[in-house]
Amino acid sequence: MLACLVTTQVAAIEVVTHPQVTQSSLTKSQLRRIYTMRQLRWSDNHAITVFVLPSQHELHQRFAKERLQIFPYQLNRIWHKLTYSGLGVAPTIVKSEQELIQAVTKTPGAIGYISEATLVLLRQSNNDSRSQEPLHMDEESKVSSQGVVNVVKIKD
Amino acid sequence: MLSKLKTNAAVAIASRVNVLYCSRSFLSRTLLCTFLLLACIATKAQAEEGKTYTNSQDFQLHGFISQGIIDVNGSDFVNDDGELSTELTEIGLNISYQLTNNFRLAGQVVYLDGGNRYAQGARVDYALLDWSAFTDEHWQANIYLGRFKNNHWLYSSSRDIPFARPSIILPQSVYFDGFRDIAVGSDGIAAKLSHSTDEYGNFDFQLSYGSSPISDEQTKNILSEYAQGSAEQDHDAQASIYWQPAFSPWRFGVSLLDAGFTYDSAGPAKGDFFYDSDFTFQFYTMNAIYEGEKWEFSGEIYQQRFTIDGFYFPAFKLDNIGQGFYLQSRYKLTQKLTFLARYEDFYLDKDDKDGKELEESTGGAIPYYFGFHKDITLGVNYDFTSNFSIRAEYHWVRGAGRLTPVVAPNPEINNSEDWQMWAVQLMYWF
Repeated sequence: MLACLVTTQVAAIEVVTHPQVTQSSLTKSQLRRIYTMRQLRWSDNHAITVFVLPSQHELHQRFAKERLQIFPYQLNRIWHKLTYSGLGVAPTIVKSEQELIQAVTKTPGAIGYISEATLVLLRQSNNDSRSQEPLHMDEESKVSSQGVVNVVKIKD
Repeated sequence: MLSKLKTNAAVAIASRVNVLYCSRSFLSRTLLCTFLLLACIATKAQAEEGKTYTNSQDFQLHGFISQGIIDVNGSDFVNDDGELSTELTEIGLNISYQLTNNFRLAGQVVYLDGGNRYAQGARVDYALLDWSAFTDEHWQANIYLGRFKNNHWLYSSSRDIPFARPSIILPQSVYFDGFRDIAVGSDGIAAKLSHSTDEYGNFDFQLSYGSSPISDEQTKNILSEYAQGSAEQDHDAQASIYWQPAFSPWRFGVSLLDAGFTYDSAGPAKGDFFYDSDFTFQFYTMNAIYEGEKWEFSGEIYQQRFTIDGFYFPAFKLDNIGQGFYLQSRYKLTQKLTFLARYEDFYLDKDDKDGKELEESTGGAIPYYFGFHKDITLGVNYDFTSNFSIRAEYHWVRGAGRLTPVVAPNPEINNSEDWQMWAVQLMYWF
């Protein structure tokens, strides 16, 4: 049981937002509404910009099943319907985790997901650059105490 | 970068429309495909150069391109000569541009070549202004003005999006290609209200009112090749409601449609055999879909009422109630490989399911098998990547009830009760 818990924690997927997003936690159903494009604004009424990895990406498959409890093909259907029938706008697809981080960092109101391992690496490199060049810290990374992105807590 | 993207899209659309009208041959279709692919690769490359995501949801450019081969034996569903055909081309390009916080512009142009199934050429699939009238955590209300897509049936909004629909050829009793341009959308106003709660799940309520222009080619497809006059759709009113219980794999829907048409005869002097007439069409559907990890089940059951007042002679009256259903199952063997099986059963007159009365009342001019349409379909879909797939399917069809022209059928070409078709289609989208 304990081993099982540890494994899930190692392979955890983190939900991240742009540093200026004030909401620090989301419920499971809020997260699901955001990714199925049924909730388009943050609680402060700012528009949400949703980023995802390609549908066959391993992390996307896991995120859909574990975090959203929805099958990736169902998400595709919802998004295709929005995109190709003019009803609405689907999430923006980026190719890699690195690109996804960049996109979330640069886009106000953005939400995305990364593996915990990538997040750890990101924090390390961020800390390194801070200690080396404290005077050249840019405005964005000052906003958040956690670094270039916010990590959102997902509640049941 | 935004203006560059826009120019590209405009150039792509303009060049395509120019090219489209002379692309009867396979060669020019191939050229067109290559051109479009290049256009989209170029656009994507430009977008990546910029590396700015600020406008990613404000401006979006998407499209698809697909080409297949289709072979029909025993009917004129695709062509008159029964030969293997490449008339299975579908290309689309769409944009979405967020004007302000609450207003968005969206449009899609599609080029279709399906032989006899519908008119070959480019058309504006939708072009609308989307007003996000209200939005919060649980509610969304949108008003769409312009040309919008029919979003009321299970696959009505994805019927001409190759990779988004379940099969190459959809159940013809609901998604009849002969009615495609009229049924796919309307020019007018539509409203959508969505509500999501943790307790009761998701609700989508939609209303639409408008009409569709009917081309001369379509008039001939639907009525008769001898109809020289002009047909018009006066109105098309639709409503639907969908409900998905909270965290459930099931979704249920109901839809209603009422449409009116008129036909203005060109008159006997101009060789028109037919008279001024009014047509009405009402259509009610109920549907359900189950989406599991491996298995998927869906079905629609429907009733239609079709009336004719005039047409054959001024006092002619017809009032038919048709009924049908289809049941469909898909099985995902692996993440990339999906199988499909479907059964469809439809008859044009519920009091004449075997078409005997139809044959008698027309003195044998219209054979009994024009009174129904049954189709058994088996298919397979393989996803090479997240946006490149191949699909193949086989149809065993009994009956000619869903072949064009509809009102005055052609039993000379369609002289067999049973007919078959198979098709293979490659699809790419971005």
